[in-house]
Formats: sequence, C-alpha cells, structure tokens
Amino acid sequence: MRDLSPLFLLPVAATVMVAPAAYAQQYLTTEQAQRTLFPAATRFVAASVTLSEAQRDLIEEKSGVRQRWETQEVWRAELDGQLLGWFIVDKVVGKHEFITYAAALATDGKVLGMEVMTYLETYGSQIREVSWKQHLVGKTSADAFKLGKDIPNISGATLSCRNVSNGIKRLLALQEVALPYGQ
Amino acid sequence: MASNAGSPAMQRRMKPLLGTFVEIAIVEMERGDTALTAAFAAIERIQALLSFHDAESELSRLNRQPGTAVKFDAISLRVLRLARAMTLRSNGLFNCTVGGALVAHGTLPDHGGVAALPCGRADDIVIGSGYALLRRPLRITLDGIAKGYAVDCAVRVLQAHGACSGWVNAGGDLRCFGETVLPVQRREVDGSLTLLGGVQNGALATSAVYPQRQGSFPSHIVRDGEELQEHGAWSVLARTAWRADALTKVAALAPAQQRAALIQQLGGRLV
Repeated sequence: MRDLSPLFLLPVAATVMVAPAAYAQQYLTTEQAQRTLFPAATRFVAASVTLSEAQRDLIEEKSGVRQRWETQEVWRAELDGQLLGWFIVDKVVGKHEFITYAAALATDGKVLGMEVMTYLETYGSQIREVSWKQHLVGKTSADAFKLGKDIPNISGATLSCRNVSNGIKRLLALQEVALPYGQ
Repeated sequence: MASNAGSPAMQRRMKPLLGTFVEIAIVEMERGDTALTAAFAAIERIQALLSFHDAESELSRLNRQPGTAVKFDAISLRVLRLARAMTLRSNGLFNCTVGGALVAHGTLPDHGGVAALPCGRADDIVIGSGYALLRRPLRITLDGIAKGYAVDCAVRVLQAHGACSGWVNAGGDLRCFGETVLPVQRREVDGSLTLLGGVQNGALATSAVYPQRQGSFPSHIVRDGEELQEHGAWSVLARTAWRADALTKVAALAPAQQRAALIQQLGGRLV
C-alpha cells in the first residue's frame, strides 16, 4: 500500500547534536563473533601466531599488504575435536577509521565470513594519536564506547571498506604462511 | 521528541559490504540474530549479482557482451528496470550508462570486452523476460541505485522475520522502519556537520562532490562523462532507499534553481 503521508524529517533535540570528534560502536565481543561466524563449533582454541620478520615479508609479498604486527590473534574453531576453520581478529586503521573485525577462514583458504566487532570513525582529531590500544582492543563491555552513545548517524562521504578487503587479503596470506594445514 | 538511536535496546551488526560498511539494527527480539543474518544475506546476494567491481557478476557479463541477450536474475532485472526508468525520467541527470566514463577516469575497474562509449541513453538497454541486452557497447553501472535497493531488500527481510522497528545504514545511505527515529547529520565537503533531523519510516541518502577526489571515499559523479564543476553535498529523503540513492545524483547534477522541484517531481525531497 502506498504511504501518502508527507515526507519530512523529524525535529531532533539540539542537545543530542553536539558535533562529534568521533563515532564509536561496539557490535560484537570476541565470543559473540565466534558464535556468529562458526555457529556449528563446539570449541574455540586460542592459537595466536607470532610471526618472524621473514614470515611478515612473505605475507607482504603474497598479499601486497604489510603485516604491521608480530602477533596475530587466532583461534581454532573445532567441532568435536575436528578443525572447522580459523577465527582471526584483525584491525585496520585508515585516515578516518579504526576497525576491529573478525574473519572466518576455511582450512582451504576460503573466506567463510566477516563481522565488524568495533568501529571508530574520527574527523578533526588524528586517529593515529587516539590511544586505541588502551581504549578499544579487548574491551568486552560497552563502557569504552560511551563516546558514541548520543552520536547520530552521518550521511555523506561514504567510507570505503577497502581497508578491510586488504586486511582479508593479508590474513589469507598469513594463513598460508603461518597456520598449519588441516590439523 | 525524537529518541536517540540507543533506546530502546537495539541489536546491531555491521559488515563490510557494497564497498562500504553496512550497519543493521533492530529492536531486540527473539531470534533477532537470524533476522540480521538473513538481511545481510539479501544484501550479499544483490552485491554478487550487480557489483561492477566483480568480473563474475551478472552485470559484468552484460557489460562484456553488447548486442547479446544475457540471462538476468529477476532481482537484477528489477534493479535494471528501475535504473532505466530513472535515467529516462530524469533526462539523464541520473544515468546508469556512464560506466564507460567512470572506467576511463579510473573510478571503476576495467574487466575487458569491447571498448565502451563513455555513456549512452535509456533506450540502449533492452529488458526482456529473463534477459537483458545492450544495443551499443556501454558499461552499465548500478552503483547509484543498487546500494539503495539492497537496503530496501534488507528492510523487507527484517520485517518478514518479524522485526517491528530498526534501520539499515549502508555508509550513510539509510532507511528506517517502525517507530525508530534515527537522527542524521550530513558531512559537508569542508568536513563540518549539518544537522538534518530525524528519519522515521523513510530513506535518506547523500552524495558529495569534492574539489579533489578523496582516496578513502569511493563516490564519484560525472555528467555525460565530464567532471562536475559544482562542489557540495546533497541529501534526498524518499520512501525507499533506491529512490533516495538515485535522486542524490540528480541533485548533484541539476541546476541549483531547479534542484528541489526536480527532486520532488521524481518522488523525493531535497533536504
């Protein structure tokens, strides 16, 4: 049925509209992301990898994306002891955005899924100076994200997800280089 | 007064899709996860069918074979039909045939095939039963409408799963349904923010034209293959997201004094 009511925007209390320096939102905790990406898994076994300089070079060679850190958070997703795939938490930092996301990779290197865990967008302040290590990573409560509580949605200047696409390319190379095949 | 986005309790998820970040939120309900997963799946399906970036999409197959009837899914045909109609009705201010120009500018990838004209007309597109055909070598791009259409599909899926209220936001092109009021600000070309108001039971989209192209933002608008001179950010309110999305291109290209009237004729409202 056609809606014949007039098209208009509702007035919004001005107090809500303090221009934000940053917008932040937590979507999923690590555990929630695990359950979402591997609903069939019965167990997640921490299997983080520490990469040598040579391995990081190889990842860059294969993916064209630099592996900036030595340690990558990885879990084995298992169903009754059998490996279903790899659950990897990764982060990307762009000019205006800081995003942590989880990727589910099958043992044959297929991407099973991706979920954004935390999303932070800033303008005016330098994102690289934001102490995100302290404030964002590993937080499981919403406390760190009070910042985004009253911040409205922003339309325009669509942010590209290319950083995450590059991140996935890098993780697939990391899987080839550093994650044991099959078992 | 409009409530803010945080209350009542919402279930929210975000995925990188459609070249940007898509956030879906619904008022908390039983089996809400299932509804969210199904809504994202609907968007993924449209992306797989109609992405210009994916060389294997139905759209890319159409673009590679001018003069040949290419099998098209019902969803693809629907979006192509909407795009063709809007190209016609807007006198080419919205134009889904400018893919050739965008490839030449380096905005869109080149998947090969016959060299394309920079742009064409609505009647270059033939839509049949289960197929589409291009009369001339063109590159159709549905980027200006398929994102909105995907948002609309996701909303329908959420409602079919029993969600009474929520929103789907594809990088600022968004639609709200039910009681939820989503306050929205617009990012202007100079980086400042303008309060637009609260969206309820409607869709809002924005297109921006920058003095220089900005690497981290994918949007780029051309007129008949030419770069635009006027810079600015234009938002359009409409019932559906596909229409709001398409009409932002009309807004960006229309002469300033006719902008609001044109948008209204085409079923939207300039805000």
